Amino acid sequence: MLPNLFAGTTIPALGEVLNFAQARHTVLAGNIANVNTPGYRLRDLNEAEFQQRLKEVMTHTGGHDARSTSLAAAEPGNPMRDVRQSLENLIYHDDTNIDLEKQVAEMTKNHLLHNFALTVMTDQFKLLETAISERV
Amino acid sequence: MTPITGIPLSPPVQPSLPVQPASHPVGAQPFKNVLLEALGQVNTMQTQANEAVQQLVTGGDVNPAEVLTTLQKADMSFRMMLQIRNKLVQAYQEINNIRI
Amino acid sequence: MISALDISTSALVAQRIRLDTVSSNLANLTSMSRDENGKMQPYQARFVMFQTDEELETKHGAVGVKVSSVETENVEPNYKYDPNHPYAIKDGPKKGYVAYPNINMTAEMVDALVATRAYEANLGAMELSKNMAQQSLRILG
Repeated sequence: MLPNLFAGTTIPALGEVLNFAQARHTVLAGNIANVNTPGYRLRDLNEAEFQQRLKEVMTHTGGHDARSTSLAAAEPGNPMRDVRQSLENLIYHDDTNIDLEKQVAEMTKNHLLHNFALTVMTDQFKLLETAISERV
Repeated sequence: MTPITGIPLSPPVQPSLPVQPASHPVGAQPFKNVLLEALGQVNTMQTQANEAVQQLVTGGDVNPAEVLTTLQKADMSFRMMLQIRNKLVQAYQEINNIRI
Repeated sequence: MISALDISTSALVAQRIRLDTVSSNLANLTSMSRDENGKMQPYQARFVMFQTDEELETKHGAVGVKVSSVETENVEPNYKYDPNHPYAIKDGPKKGYVAYPNINMTAEMVDALVATRAYEANLGAMELSKNMAQQSLRILG
Protein backbone atom coordinates (compact mmCIF):
# COMPACT_ATOMS: atom_id res chain seq x y z
CA MET A 1 0.00 0.00 0.00
CA LEU A 2 2.62 2.49 1.00
CA PRO A 3 4.63 2.49 -2.27
CA ASN A 4 1.39 2.96 -4.15
CA LEU A 5 0.54 5.99 -2.08
CA PHE A 6 1.93 8.16 -4.90
CA ALA A 7 0.63 6.05 -7.75
CA GLY A 8 -2.54 8.03 -8.22
CA THR A 9 -0.74 11.36 -8.44
CA THR A 10 1.64 12.74 -11.03
CA ILE A 11 4.56 12.71 -8.59
CA PRO A 12 6.63 9.91 -10.25
CA ALA A 13 6.33 11.48 -13.71
CA LEU A 14 7.25 14.90 -12.36
CA GLY A 15 10.26 13.40 -10.62
CA GLU A 16 11.48 12.05 -13.95
CA VAL A 17 10.95 15.44 -15.58
CA LEU A 18 13.09 16.99 -12.85
CA ASN A 19 15.89 14.48 -13.45
CA PHE A 20 15.81 15.11 -17.17
CA ALA A 21 15.83 18.89 -16.71
CA GLN A 22 18.85 18.77 -14.44
CA ALA A 23 20.77 16.48 -16.76
CA ARG A 24 19.98 18.67 -19.77
CA HIS A 25 21.10 21.74 -17.83
CA THR A 26 24.59 20.33 -17.44
CA VAL A 27 24.84 19.48 -21.15
CA LEU A 28 23.78 22.99 -22.17
CA ALA A 29 26.18 24.54 -19.65
CA GLY A 30 28.91 22.48 -21.27
CA ASN A 31 27.97 23.96 -24.66
CA ILE A 32 28.25 27.49 -23.33
CA ALA A 33 31.56 26.72 -21.66
CA ASN A 34 32.95 25.51 -25.00
CA VAL A 35 31.92 28.57 -26.96
CA ASN A 36 35.49 29.26 -28.08
CA THR A 37 36.73 25.71 -28.48
CA PRO A 38 37.76 25.03 -32.08
CA GLY A 39 36.10 22.03 -33.62
CA TYR A 40 33.38 21.75 -30.97
CA ARG A 41 29.95 20.63 -32.10
CA LEU A 42 26.79 21.33 -30.14
CA ARG A 43 25.34 18.63 -27.92
CA ASP A 44 21.83 18.36 -26.57
CA LEU A 45 19.55 15.86 -24.86
CA ASN A 46 16.60 14.89 -26.96
CA GLU A 47 13.57 16.38 -25.24
CA ALA A 48 11.03 15.06 -27.74
CA GLU A 49 12.32 11.53 -27.24
CA PHE A 50 12.06 11.87 -23.48
CA GLN A 51 8.47 13.10 -23.67
CA GLN A 52 7.56 10.25 -26.01
CA ARG A 53 9.01 7.65 -23.64
CA LEU A 54 7.26 9.24 -20.69
CA LYS A 55 3.94 9.16 -22.51
CA GLU A 56 4.36 5.50 -23.44
CA VAL A 57 5.19 4.48 -19.89
CA MET A 58 2.30 6.44 -18.45
CA THR A 59 -0.29 4.99 -20.80
CA HIS A 60 0.93 1.44 -20.29
CA THR A 61 1.29 1.37 -16.56
CA GLY A 62 -1.15 4.13 -15.66
CA GLY A 63 1.65 6.15 -14.15
CA HIS A 64 2.53 3.52 -11.60
CA ASP A 65 6.06 2.97 -12.72
CA ALA A 66 7.52 6.01 -14.35
CA ARG A 67 10.92 4.99 -13.06
CA SER A 68 11.73 3.00 -16.17
CA THR A 69 12.04 6.21 -18.16
CA SER A 70 14.79 7.48 -15.93
CA LEU A 71 18.06 8.26 -17.59
CA ALA A 72 19.83 6.12 -15.03
CA ALA A 73 17.83 3.08 -16.08
CA ALA A 74 18.30 3.64 -19.80
CA GLU A 75 21.05 1.57 -21.39
CA PRO A 76 23.84 3.37 -23.23
CA GLY A 77 22.42 2.43 -26.62
CA ASN A 78 19.15 4.18 -25.84
CA PRO A 79 18.62 7.25 -28.04
CA MET A 80 17.51 9.23 -25.04
CA ARG A 81 20.83 8.75 -23.37
CA ASP A 82 22.97 9.66 -26.35
CA VAL A 83 23.75 13.31 -26.51
CA ARG A 84 22.52 14.45 -29.88
CA GLN A 85 25.01 16.20 -32.07
CA SER A 86 23.26 19.06 -33.74
CA LEU A 87 24.18 19.78 -37.34
CA GLU A 88 21.62 22.45 -38.03
CA ASN A 89 23.65 25.55 -37.31
CA LEU A 90 26.15 27.38 -39.46
CA ILE A 91 29.74 26.31 -39.09
CA TYR A 92 32.03 29.20 -38.30
CA HIS A 93 35.62 29.71 -39.30
CA ASP A 94 37.02 28.10 -36.15
CA ASP A 95 35.02 24.96 -36.94
CA THR A 96 32.39 25.45 -34.24
CA ASN A 97 28.68 25.80 -34.80
CA ILE A 98 27.51 27.44 -31.63
CA ASP A 99 24.88 30.17 -31.48
CA LEU A 100 25.21 31.57 -27.99
CA GLU A 101 21.73 33.06 -27.93
CA LYS A 102 20.16 29.75 -28.84
CA GLN A 103 21.97 27.94 -26.03
CA VAL A 104 20.95 30.50 -23.44
CA ALA A 105 17.37 30.38 -24.70
CA GLU A 106 17.30 26.58 -24.46
CA MET A 107 18.73 26.83 -20.95
CA THR A 108 16.02 29.32 -20.00
CA LYS A 109 13.27 27.08 -21.31
CA ASN A 110 14.75 24.14 -19.46
CA HIS A 111 14.92 26.22 -16.30
CA LEU A 112 11.26 27.20 -16.59
CA LEU A 113 10.24 23.59 -17.13
CA HIS A 114 12.26 22.56 -14.08
CA ASN A 115 10.68 25.21 -11.86
CA PHE A 116 7.23 24.31 -13.09
CA ALA A 117 7.71 20.59 -12.37
CA LEU A 118 9.18 21.40 -8.96
CA THR A 119 6.32 23.69 -7.95
CA VAL A 120 3.64 21.25 -9.08
CA MET A 121 5.35 18.37 -7.31
CA THR A 122 5.64 20.34 -4.07
CA ASP A 123 1.99 21.24 -4.34
CA GLN A 124 1.01 17.58 -4.77
CA PHE A 125 3.03 16.61 -1.72
CA LYS A 126 1.36 19.33 0.33
CA LEU A 127 -2.04 18.09 -0.77
CA LEU A 128 -1.23 14.55 0.31
CA GLU A 129 -0.01 15.88 3.62
CA THR A 130 -3.27 17.77 4.08
CA ALA A 131 -5.26 14.63 3.39
CA ILE A 132 -3.20 12.56 5.80
CA SER A 133 -3.20 15.06 8.64
CA GLU A 134 -6.84 16.08 8.14
CA ARG A 135 -5.77 19.59 8.93
CA VAL A 136 -6.86 21.98 6.20
CA MET B 1 -79.51 25.23 45.03
CA THR B 2 -78.98 23.89 41.60
CA PRO B 3 -77.73 20.31 41.14
CA ILE B 4 -74.11 19.87 40.05
CA THR B 5 -74.06 19.33 36.45
CA GLY B 6 -71.15 18.15 34.42
CA ILE B 7 -68.71 20.76 33.24
CA PRO B 8 -68.95 20.90 29.54
CA LEU B 9 -65.54 20.48 28.00
CA SER B 10 -64.85 22.36 24.89
CA PRO B 11 -64.85 20.05 21.90
CA PRO B 12 -61.46 18.33 21.38
CA VAL B 13 -59.07 20.40 19.29
CA GLN B 14 -59.32 19.47 15.66
CA PRO B 15 -56.35 20.07 13.47
CA SER B 16 -57.12 22.91 11.18
CA LEU B 17 -55.20 21.36 8.31
CA PRO B 18 -55.01 17.73 7.33
CA VAL B 19 -51.74 16.18 8.51
CA GLN B 20 -49.30 15.23 5.74
CA PRO B 21 -46.10 13.28 6.02
CA ALA B 22 -43.01 15.55 5.78
CA SER B 23 -42.34 15.94 2.04
CA HIS B 24 -39.47 17.61 0.18
CA PRO B 25 -39.99 21.03 -1.29
CA VAL B 26 -39.83 20.91 -5.03
CA GLY B 27 -36.20 20.73 -6.33
CA ALA B 28 -34.38 19.62 -3.15
CA GLN B 29 -32.73 16.26 -2.60
CA PRO B 30 -31.80 14.22 0.41
CA PHE B 31 -28.61 15.55 2.01
CA LYS B 32 -26.82 12.28 1.37
CA ASN B 33 -27.18 12.72 -2.40
CA VAL B 34 -25.86 16.24 -2.20
CA LEU B 35 -22.76 15.05 -0.39
CA LEU B 36 -22.10 12.15 -2.76
CA GLU B 37 -22.50 14.38 -5.77
CA ALA B 38 -20.05 16.89 -4.34
CA LEU B 39 -17.50 14.14 -3.66
CA GLY B 40 -17.83 12.97 -7.25
CA GLN B 41 -17.21 16.49 -8.51
CA VAL B 42 -14.10 16.88 -6.38
CA ASN B 43 -12.80 13.58 -7.73
CA THR B 44 -13.48 14.64 -11.31
CA MET B 45 -11.57 17.86 -10.79
CA GLN B 46 -8.59 15.97 -9.36
CA THR B 47 -8.56 13.61 -12.35
CA GLN B 48 -8.76 16.54 -14.75
CA ALA B 49 -5.86 18.26 -13.03
CA ASN B 50 -3.74 15.10 -13.16
CA GLU B 51 -4.48 14.64 -16.84
CA ALA B 52 -3.62 18.24 -17.61
CA VAL B 53 -0.22 17.90 -15.89
CA GLN B 54 0.46 14.63 -17.71
CA GLN B 55 -0.34 16.23 -21.04
CA LEU B 56 1.98 19.13 -20.34
CA VAL B 57 5.01 17.04 -19.39
CA THR B 58 4.58 14.71 -22.37
CA GLY B 59 4.73 17.61 -24.76
CA GLY B 60 1.03 18.16 -25.32
CA ASP B 61 -0.44 21.32 -26.74
CA VAL B 62 -1.68 22.78 -23.46
CA ASN B 63 -1.10 26.15 -21.85
CA PRO B 64 0.94 26.05 -18.63
CA ALA B 65 -1.17 28.79 -17.03
CA GLU B 66 -4.30 26.76 -17.67
CA VAL B 67 -2.73 23.70 -16.09
CA LEU B 68 -1.78 25.68 -13.00
CA THR B 69 -5.28 27.13 -12.69
CA THR B 70 -6.85 23.67 -13.01
CA LEU B 71 -4.50 22.37 -10.34
CA GLN B 72 -5.33 25.18 -7.97
CA LYS B 73 -9.06 24.73 -8.48
CA ALA B 74 -8.75 21.03 -7.71
CA ASP B 75 -6.69 21.82 -4.62
CA MET B 76 -9.16 24.34 -3.36
CA SER B 77 -12.22 22.13 -3.84
CA PHE B 78 -10.42 19.27 -2.10
CA ARG B 79 -9.62 21.43 0.89
CA MET B 80 -13.19 22.72 0.99
CA MET B 81 -14.50 19.16 1.00
CA LEU B 82 -12.05 18.23 3.74
CA GLN B 83 -13.21 21.15 5.87
CA ILE B 84 -16.86 20.22 5.35
CA ARG B 85 -16.05 16.66 6.38
CA ASN B 86 -14.29 17.92 9.51
CA LYS B 87 -17.27 20.03 10.49
CA LEU B 88 -19.67 17.13 9.95
CA VAL B 89 -17.56 14.84 12.13
CA GLN B 90 -17.39 17.52 14.79
CA ALA B 91 -21.17 17.97 14.71
CA TYR B 92 -21.66 14.21 15.02
CA GLN B 93 -19.36 14.08 18.01
CA GLU B 94 -21.20 16.94 19.68
CA ILE B 95 -24.48 15.19 19.22
CA ASN B 96 -22.96 12.03 20.66
CA ASN B 97 -21.93 13.94 23.74
CA ILE B 98 -25.45 15.12 24.56
CA ARG B 99 -26.36 13.60 27.89
CA ILE B 100 -29.87 12.30 27.92
CA MET C 1 6.00 23.56 -28.28
CA ILE C 2 7.09 26.72 -30.02
CA SER C 3 6.84 29.57 -27.60
CA ALA C 4 7.58 33.26 -27.39
CA LEU C 5 11.11 32.43 -26.24
CA ASP C 6 11.90 30.57 -29.48
CA ILE C 7 10.63 33.44 -31.56
CA SER C 8 12.71 35.99 -29.66
CA THR C 9 15.74 33.74 -29.99
CA SER C 10 15.35 33.56 -33.76
CA ALA C 11 15.36 37.36 -33.82
CA LEU C 12 18.50 37.50 -31.68
CA VAL C 13 20.33 35.12 -34.01
CA ALA C 14 19.21 37.06 -37.11
CA GLN C 15 20.29 40.42 -35.70
CA ARG C 16 23.66 39.01 -34.73
CA ILE C 17 24.23 37.75 -38.28
CA ARG C 18 23.28 41.20 -39.53
CA LEU C 19 25.81 42.77 -37.18
CA ASP C 20 28.40 40.27 -38.41
CA THR C 21 27.94 41.40 -42.01
CA VAL C 22 28.26 45.04 -40.96
CA SER C 23 31.53 44.21 -39.18
CA SER C 24 32.70 42.41 -42.27
CA ASN C 25 31.88 45.42 -44.46
CA LEU C 26 33.67 47.83 -42.13
CA ALA C 27 36.71 45.58 -41.85
CA ASN C 28 37.03 45.34 -45.64
CA LEU C 29 36.85 49.04 -46.47
CA THR C 30 39.91 48.81 -48.66
CA SER C 31 40.06 45.11 -49.51
CA MET C 32 40.40 43.52 -52.86
CA SER C 33 40.33 39.96 -54.09
CA ARG C 34 41.22 38.17 -57.25
CA ASP C 35 38.26 36.84 -59.20
CA GLU C 36 38.19 33.80 -61.49
CA ASN C 37 39.69 35.70 -64.42
CA GLY C 38 42.65 36.69 -62.32
CA LYS C 39 41.62 40.33 -62.22
CA MET C 40 41.61 42.18 -58.92
CA GLN C 41 38.07 43.07 -57.89
CA PRO C 42 37.23 45.40 -55.05
CA TYR C 43 35.25 44.09 -52.11
CA GLN C 44 31.52 44.51 -52.54
CA ALA C 45 29.38 45.13 -49.46
CA ARG C 46 27.35 42.24 -48.12
CA PHE C 47 23.84 42.61 -46.79
CA VAL C 48 21.37 40.18 -45.23
CA MET C 49 17.84 39.37 -46.32
CA PHE C 50 15.38 38.72 -43.50
CA GLN C 51 12.41 36.47 -44.00
CA THR C 52 9.67 35.06 -41.77
CA ASP C 53 10.51 31.55 -40.68
CA GLU C 54 7.46 29.40 -41.38
CA GLU C 55 8.83 26.52 -39.35
CA LEU C 56 8.75 28.64 -36.23
CA GLU C 57 5.04 29.36 -36.18
CA THR C 58 2.90 29.11 -33.06
CA LYS C 59 -0.69 27.98 -32.96
CA HIS C 60 -2.00 31.53 -32.97
CA GLY C 61 0.05 32.78 -35.90
CA ALA C 62 3.11 34.33 -34.27
CA VAL C 63 6.05 33.60 -36.53
CA GLY C 64 9.83 33.85 -36.18
CA VAL C 65 12.48 35.38 -38.41
CA LYS C 66 15.42 33.90 -40.26
CA VAL C 67 18.21 35.11 -42.50
CA SER C 68 17.23 33.75 -45.90
CA SER C 69 20.43 34.75 -47.68
CA VAL C 70 23.46 36.98 -47.54
CA GLU C 71 23.56 38.99 -50.76
CA THR C 72 26.43 40.84 -52.31
CA GLU C 73 25.91 44.28 -53.65
CA ASN C 74 26.98 45.28 -57.08
CA VAL C 75 27.86 48.95 -57.14
CA GLU C 76 30.41 50.91 -59.04
CA PRO C 77 33.73 50.87 -57.22
CA ASN C 78 35.59 53.96 -56.12
CA TYR C 79 38.27 54.84 -58.62
CA LYS C 80 41.48 56.54 -57.56
CA TYR C 81 44.27 57.57 -59.87
CA ASP C 82 47.50 55.79 -58.94
CA PRO C 83 49.40 54.49 -62.00
CA ASN C 84 52.25 53.08 -59.92
CA HIS C 85 49.98 50.88 -57.85
CA PRO C 86 50.46 47.15 -58.59
CA TYR C 87 46.71 46.74 -59.01
CA ALA C 88 46.20 49.70 -61.34
CA ILE C 89 44.13 48.97 -64.43
CA LYS C 90 46.47 48.34 -67.34
CA ASP C 91 44.35 49.44 -70.26
CA GLY C 92 41.00 50.77 -71.29
CA PRO C 93 39.30 54.06 -70.43
CA LYS C 94 40.23 53.68 -66.76
CA LYS C 95 43.93 53.18 -67.32
CA GLY C 96 45.99 54.02 -64.28
CA TYR C 97 43.07 53.97 -61.88
CA VAL C 98 42.75 51.59 -58.92
CA ALA C 99 39.28 50.32 -58.05
CA TYR C 100 38.54 50.54 -54.30
CA PRO C 101 35.44 49.24 -52.54
CA ASN C 102 32.58 51.67 -52.43
CA ILE C 103 31.28 51.19 -48.89
CA ASN C 104 29.36 53.94 -47.17
CA MET C 105 30.74 53.86 -43.66
CA THR C 106 28.01 56.07 -42.21
CA ALA C 107 25.26 53.88 -43.57
CA GLU C 108 26.97 50.79 -42.18
CA MET C 109 27.35 52.32 -38.70
CA VAL C 110 23.68 53.30 -38.66
CA ASP C 111 22.80 49.77 -39.67
CA ALA C 112 24.91 48.47 -36.80
CA LEU C 113 23.06 50.77 -34.38
CA VAL C 114 19.68 49.61 -35.63
CA ALA C 115 20.74 45.97 -35.31
CA THR C 116 21.89 46.60 -31.73
CA ARG C 117 18.64 48.28 -30.77
CA ALA C 118 16.64 45.44 -32.30
CA TYR C 119 18.79 42.96 -30.37
CA GLU C 120 18.13 44.80 -27.11
CA ALA C 121 14.41 45.01 -27.83
CA ASN C 122 14.24 41.25 -28.35
CA LEU C 123 16.23 40.69 -25.19
CA GLY C 124 13.65 42.75 -23.34
CA ALA C 125 10.85 40.66 -24.84
CA MET C 126 12.62 37.51 -23.70
CA GLU C 127 12.97 38.86 -20.17
CA LEU C 128 9.26 39.55 -20.06
CA SER C 129 8.35 36.10 -21.36
CA LYS C 130 10.55 34.52 -18.72
CA ASN C 131 9.04 36.75 -16.06
CA MET C 132 5.51 35.86 -17.06
CA ALA C 133 6.20 32.15 -16.89
CA GLN C 134 7.85 32.45 -13.49
CA GLN C 135 5.12 34.63 -12.06
CA SER C 136 2.42 32.28 -13.25
CA LEU C 137 3.79 29.77 -10.74
CA ARG C 138 2.36 32.05 -8.11
CA ILE C 139 -1.09 30.73 -9.06
CA LEU C 140 -0.19 27.79 -6.90
CA GLY C 141 0.52 30.09 -3.99
